[in-house]
Amino acid sequence: MCFQNLPIEFDALGNARLKEGLDPYAYQTRDLDRSKVEKLLASNGHVKDINLDPVTRVAGALSFHTVVDLEAGKVLEAHSIATLFRGYEVILKGRDPRDAMFISSRVCGVCGGVHSVASSLAMEMAFGIGVPPMGGALRNIQLALDFMVDNPVHLYLLAGPDYSQVVIERTNPSLWEAAKKTETRHGDVHGFKTMAELFTALNPLTGKLYLEGLQMTRPAKEAYAILYGKYPHPQTVVPGGLSTTVSLQVLNETQLRIIRTLDYAKRGVFIWDDITEFFYDADSRYQQIGTRPKNLIDTGMWDDPYAYDGTYAGAPEWGERRWATPGVIIDGELVTTNLHHINMGMEEFVEHSYYDGWEDDGVPFRTDPAGNPIGPNHPWNKETKPRSDQRNWKDRYTWSTAPRWDRQVVEAGAYARLWTTAAAAKMPHTRFLQATGTSVKIDTPQTAALPAMEFEWKIPETWNAFERNRARAYHIVYSLMVAYENVQIAFDLMGQGENKAATMTEFRVPRNERVGVGFWGAGRGFLTHHLVMDKGVLTNYQIVTPSTFNASPADPFGQPGPYEEAVVNTPILEEFDSGDTFTGIDIFRAIRSFDPCMPCTVHIANGRDMIMQDVTTCACGAA
Amino acid sequence: MENMISVPMKARVDVPLEGEISRSLPDQMGNVAGAHSAELHQRLLETGGRMDSMGPLKKVYVFWLPGMSCDGCSVSTIGATEPSIEELLTGALPGVPVMILHHYQFQMESGDHFTHLLEQADAGALDAPYIIVYEGSIPDENLTVGTEPWAAKGSLPLWAPADQRQRRSTSEWVRRLAPEAAVTIAIGTCATWGGIPASLGNPTGAISMMDFLGKDYRSALGLPVVNVPGCPPIGDDFTETVTLLLKFMNGQGPLPDFDELGRPAWQFGETVHLHCPRGAWYEEGNFAREFGGKECLAEIGCWGPVVNCHITERGFINGKGGCMVAGGACIGCMSPGFPDKFTPFYKRPPQTTPATTLSRMHGALTKPLRRTTQLERNREPRWKSDATSGWAPQYDNVTLFHRSFEYFYTRIQYFRSELPGRNEKDEEKYASGYVVPPEAAYGKHYAQWLPERRAEEARKRGTYQRPGLSPQADGFETPVQDDQE
Repeated sequence: MCFQNLPIEFDALGNARLKEGLDPYAYQTRDLDRSKVEKLLASNGHVKDINLDPVTRVAGALSFHTVVDLEAGKVLEAHSIATLFRGYEVILKGRDPRDAMFISSRVCGVCGGVHSVASSLAMEMAFGIGVPPMGGALRNIQLALDFMVDNPVHLYLLAGPDYSQVVIERTNPSLWEAAKKTETRHGDVHGFKTMAELFTALNPLTGKLYLEGLQMTRPAKEAYAILYGKYPHPQTVVPGGLSTTVSLQVLNETQLRIIRTLDYAKRGVFIWDDITEFFYDADSRYQQIGTRPKNLIDTGMWDDPYAYDGTYAGAPEWGERRWATPGVIIDGELVTTNLHHINMGMEEFVEHSYYDGWEDDGVPFRTDPAGNPIGPNHPWNKETKPRSDQRNWKDRYTWSTAPRWDRQVVEAGAYARLWTTAAAAKMPHTRFLQATGTSVKIDTPQTAALPAMEFEWKIPETWNAFERNRARAYHIVYSLMVAYENVQIAFDLMGQGENKAATMTEFRVPRNERVGVGFWGAGRGFLTHHLVMDKGVLTNYQIVTPSTFNASPADPFGQPGPYEEAVVNTPILEEFDSGDTFTGIDIFRAIRSFDPCMPCTVHIANGRDMIMQDVTTCACGAA
Repeated sequence: MENMISVPMKARVDVPLEGEISRSLPDQMGNVAGAHSAELHQRLLETGGRMDSMGPLKKVYVFWLPGMSCDGCSVSTIGATEPSIEELLTGALPGVPVMILHHYQFQMESGDHFTHLLEQADAGALDAPYIIVYEGSIPDENLTVGTEPWAAKGSLPLWAPADQRQRRSTSEWVRRLAPEAAVTIAIGTCATWGGIPASLGNPTGAISMMDFLGKDYRSALGLPVVNVPGCPPIGDDFTETVTLLLKFMNGQGPLPDFDELGRPAWQFGETVHLHCPRGAWYEEGNFAREFGGKECLAEIGCWGPVVNCHITERGFINGKGGCMVAGGACIGCMSPGFPDKFTPFYKRPPQTTPATTLSRMHGALTKPLRRTTQLERNREPRWKSDATSGWAPQYDNVTLFHRSFEYFYTRIQYFRSELPGRNEKDEEKYASGYVVPPEAAYGKHYAQWLPERRAEEARKRGTYQRPGLSPQADGFETPVQDDQE
């Protein structure tokens, strides 16, 4: 059915089973071949070895290595390098599972709250508890508020300056001339008459859109703080819901802030529509910036408060009732919407990362709790040992692992969930949102400055950096309407006297062996937390984040990670005289379009042999 | 200077190799603006106007160095409003030098151009003083000698080809930049105390900034490391501290007070419990038994009474939020020892049960007294026996106990002072003439009648609308129209 590479087949009833074979999951590692690039580098002056360390205007520590042929305008090779390592899973091992919510939240300061919730989802599965509807609704609001911060910050503070006057004027003077003459299509909505005006507003520090990006994300942060205490690390997430004291005041203040940011979100769609169309019209080769196959993945999110029961067996059903439908897109086709399939297909590889393999440690789980086969590289079986090493492009070069689905390179992103939702057309909530099979329609009410509007995000024909950014702008409106609907649900529940947001008061941490997984989403794609616990403490904790997928290095099959692939496919369109004036703007646009978020990309699983044992020179006594 | 560093860093070599020609500037790669962010700042400085005359400093560089961080402190800081980060960056605050922020999330340029400014600071070649802000804990890079550092920014030396460079760890940057920095600020619990990356079982040997720089460290202004803790810290706490420090550096204000651990004393002087809106529930001995309860959270694992913080007073952003305000128990994230001194979270801290038991005993005495007093205070003096509203019928029933309680209470309350009011007759009090209250005319249940019934009764009685009097007094909703009928 949905798997092409994994040794899994389905019987007539749709039950998965392992194909026959001695070691069905075994694979052959393919060496990375650099001889061609090395030869070109040695013989040609116009082939440049370029080290971008660090890549700025991304969250966290990312650096990038490329080999560019400046004459042909081509990128020959790209390596994505995560440059920070903290060891969160080591810290989590042997702790009370309840600590995981707060500790795993600190994995990422940009999307900490969603880690916290993913952690509590995993615990709910392990403990066997559900969430009262109020808790479910408030969690959905939290997630949407997170995006109302994350996505605009990315669009206007991090990626936005790449499209600003100061940049375009110098990297592409001819484009700047065109921008001065081109009228915007939606000037009546956003107020910028020419594209040049719009690009000037994106200038750092002085531009209107840049400063708005700082100011307009604050109401959402306020609403977040009202419900969750603080942002980015929430204080009220507990397994089984939230410890928030829910009152009409809380709901009113939240709803007001959602409505007040809606205007801003609506305007953003027109701004990014205009930017995208301007670049496409100026040069159709811009459609190739950051392009890669249409392989995307998302686990969906925003649980139906009445359908979610926290069980693994029920995951396919409650998964499809989410406001964003889970799914995998391979070559533009939706291959599954089943959370079991998505979970079964996940594997992590470390052949090109600073970790040792775990093949000698056995495979604790041959199947998931529903009896579906899972491989030794599945997060529940992963057993990673960090080992810092010299950087070598053929061998190991990053702290990020290489997660794959069905051993294919898939990318995660806010757009991935719009895509899967649109393609699946299973999203059951139609009050403001509708999935049509080729698009998602978003109905927005009238707000202070703009009338009621209907937006339609269509599955794009080409897949590139501009489409990623444009989809992100739609995603803000989409998530705000989900939040709006969930506040209404919360108000209705209050009316029924249901203001309880959490299931349990006293924790009863199970003492036997349990596994759990939380499927949730961040601003830059889905994330999962896989946990294994025994005797009341965590024995394995695995976090797979969107940027682990996107920033991954090559896998053992020789396939490069999504950033690397997108950069290699990027044509060099900037205008420059010589190598000395080349800035690499096209490469940056490609990388930043993914909304890289490195803090949570790098983490490690527990290791039985800690590397600390080799070390005798630790000055602080932590060994 | 070398001996004050507790962790020797000998692994990073960046002297020119033999035969290499040093380059003064890297090429444009990575510099998408074609210029440094400093150039954008220059535009702002040139339009500074009168601000230039306030104090000797026009600008101060701020180097934001991320160690083993989650970026949460940065995210928190861009949410700040007292002042906001854009006010600091754009010179919107008179008397405060423009902050030239060198931050990996906001810098225009990447790669060597980004690193170049750090190198200039290291070489003492900047045209203004600089502050370093460190976010995240500092890992022990002795564990990675000869291999990839745990946390790094930039590959050096800039003049060398890529394959001959060494990635420079952030701790090495701190070691180089801290001695000459005007102030060093550790932001967030990781940088101030160690935080989660330094918690038990960590593989990286992480420590805090002040531990790393050691006992003898003083910045150029003579301060040890300034600590603004929190996980995440309150953005306002940080921007406020920086603003006050910048004002001080510019001769526009006093040096802020710091407590014994280098925290801003006015922010972290007291425990969060003292500022907590739920603190009074504690005082009356009421404790939340389940999540979402509105009472004090002490018994579901709140550490507030022993943690220095003021989030419940300041709110988290723009005065909104705060852990206990929303319903989250304090887990001590601002405190040294976080997380290990406070885990397992949601387990009741050992000191809580004895303390809350005492508080319950205290509450058992004070609560009945307060409730009885409240019943009498929560009443207009006019409502002697009758509250005349559709709400709360119990206000109509005043028992003898309450009458006598109120009598003695008032005697004590006004002992040796005068009861307010002139004690005149009603007719004398009201200049426009005294009107019989409708209840007196129509009976006790007048207030519960619907408007139609009031009008009807009034018509029956033949009362008409007199000028200058409130229409309700005669039982008319719209007296003029009614009159015309």
